[in-house]
Amino acid sequence: MTASQSRRPGLTERLLDVHNLKVHFQVSDRTIRAVDGVDFHVRPAECVGIVGESGSGKSTLVRAVSRLMPNLRINELSGDLRFEGRHILEMSERDLRALRRSHGFSMIFQDPLGYLNPTHRVGRQIAEALSPQGKGRPDGQRVHSLLQEVGFSDPKSVAHSFPHELSGGMRQRVMIAIALASDPKLLFADEPTTALDATVQLQVLQTLYRIHKERNMAVVIITHDLGVVAELCDRVYVMQTGKVVETADTVDLFERPKHSYSARLIELSAHRVDFRSAAP
Amino acid sequence: MKPQILSLEGVSQIYASRGSKGWRREYVHAVDGVDLDIREGETLAIVGESGSGKSTLAKMLLMLNNPTKGNVTYRGTRLKSLGAVERSQYRRQVQAVFQDPASSLNPRMTVEQTLSHVANRHNIVAKADLGRFLKEQLAAVGLNPPEQYLGRYPHQLSGGQQQRIAIARAIMLKPKIIIADEPLSSLDVSVQAQILQLLSELRKTTNVGFVIISHDLGAMQSIADRTAVMYKGRVVEIGRAIYQSPVHPYTRLLLDARLLPNPRGNRIRSPVPKQVTPTALSASTGGCRFLQRCPYAIEVCAAVDPQLQTMDGEATQVACHRAKELSAALTPA
Repeated sequence: MTASQSRRPGLTERLLDVHNLKVHFQVSDRTIRAVDGVDFHVRPAECVGIVGESGSGKSTLVRAVSRLMPNLRINELSGDLRFEGRHILEMSERDLRALRRSHGFSMIFQDPLGYLNPTHRVGRQIAEALSPQGKGRPDGQRVHSLLQEVGFSDPKSVAHSFPHELSGGMRQRVMIAIALASDPKLLFADEPTTALDATVQLQVLQTLYRIHKERNMAVVIITHDLGVVAELCDRVYVMQTGKVVETADTVDLFERPKHSYSARLIELSAHRVDFRSAAP
Repeated sequence: MKPQILSLEGVSQIYASRGSKGWRREYVHAVDGVDLDIREGETLAIVGESGSGKSTLAKMLLMLNNPTKGNVTYRGTRLKSLGAVERSQYRRQVQAVFQDPASSLNPRMTVEQTLSHVANRHNIVAKADLGRFLKEQLAAVGLNPPEQYLGRYPHQLSGGQQQRIAIARAIMLKPKIIIADEPLSSLDVSVQAQILQLLSELRKTTNVGFVIISHDLGAMQSIADRTAVMYKGRVVEIGRAIYQSPVHPYTRLLLDARLLPNPRGNRIRSPVPKQVTPTALSASTGGCRFLQRCPYAIEVCAAVDPQLQTMDGEATQVACHRAKELSAALTPA
């Protein structure tokens, strides 16, 4: 399939289609089956949640798809991964870079401070994402409009700040602005609000949702917080020990969970358990 | 009502830091005049956003920091006046559990070494009985069979198991009270539930009290007897029913910000614009510190700093000038 064909995807078409993905790591003398035969897809302009606890393979899944693998010995990395019909695993580094740079996919992470350069001003780092090879003059206008899009009313002063001068929520907004610089069709968000306070989390998620709708950009949110999924996602995948144990529309999952693990997670996150009843 | 064990009177902690501009010192009032009574055997939750002073408060209770102003009193004795021996006894009776068990356990000590170190330091058990004692402690925090865990290093344990070791280390001294600073936030939800379960069992079997510091209101609702809400170094609301009937606007804001696992809630998908008119009032001369974010601010809020006042008929205290109006508006009579 050529790129021009996939410019106008139908509703049923899949932006990202993953079939039987396996990622096995070699750690000392053991094989860790981090992702073990996962089927997964994302339609254009859809918001998909991946939930699971630590070690369930949710981050590894997304990193394999975006080809950002950790520096570990990989025993097996196989599966049929297609983005707009193109095989991701067989793509050359050059094509992959082009995809990341424009109209492909971007990613934001849990800890923005770990991904921002502490010695450069925020504006420069966003400009860098706009023209990654440092060619041409930094486009101040576009930097400002990106900062405005992620909810800063005063983009000029933010662009002039260093990361440490911003709060956690502001840094995550800056990360989103950087991710949006490539005008992606798909945004992976790996625990985007886990490190934030509840009130700030709500604001950042509202911003993320607004951008998702305004840009018709597909979003994949990895989280362990079912509240995030309930508020944002159209569909959910529940992962446990490297496998998808349940996938459903969000409302169906919450109201009629089929797998006992999903039901348990929902029960716990609703805090329907009262531990005081055990007390004297 | 049970006797109070720890009480804070007008406790403040002021940190000095080099100003962001120039060399002038800036002072941060991390905790700013907190009065609080903690009763024997009760579970008190302290909630609030980061920077509200919850952890600083915990440090003062643990005698890791001395308050700049005010007094912390343990069973009628001021902590400041404790001698060396009494201080050691205090530390034995008031134990700590921290947020990140991986960094609060020594990576170069096995579980056995970590626990026996504490046991020997406080002379709680004869040398000959030590092995049996440690196994009992591990069993008490749900690590069965205990023999399996004694020889392990922290990195060979999962996060939940590490936190259980940290709890075992605290509980083995038979403390009166355990100060737990965000004991759940580095754990998975299902593990959080297990730890909460463990804490409530320990409370039943040992009658130990807890001060749990957390930003997770949902988890605290399921375990706390009383909850104190902190904002910018102050307790703004404290009571038993703050989850069901919050009074202070900040408590409401925190409760509203919770993401509920209800896919039909539609708060983010179609957010109802909140009627928060940014107030033109300014609290430069010592008004309410929540003024700028408060949708209910009136003139008196900019002028007078509200003190905790008891709401009639209930064991709730609120620091808000409009508390009576707000609680009346909440519960239609």
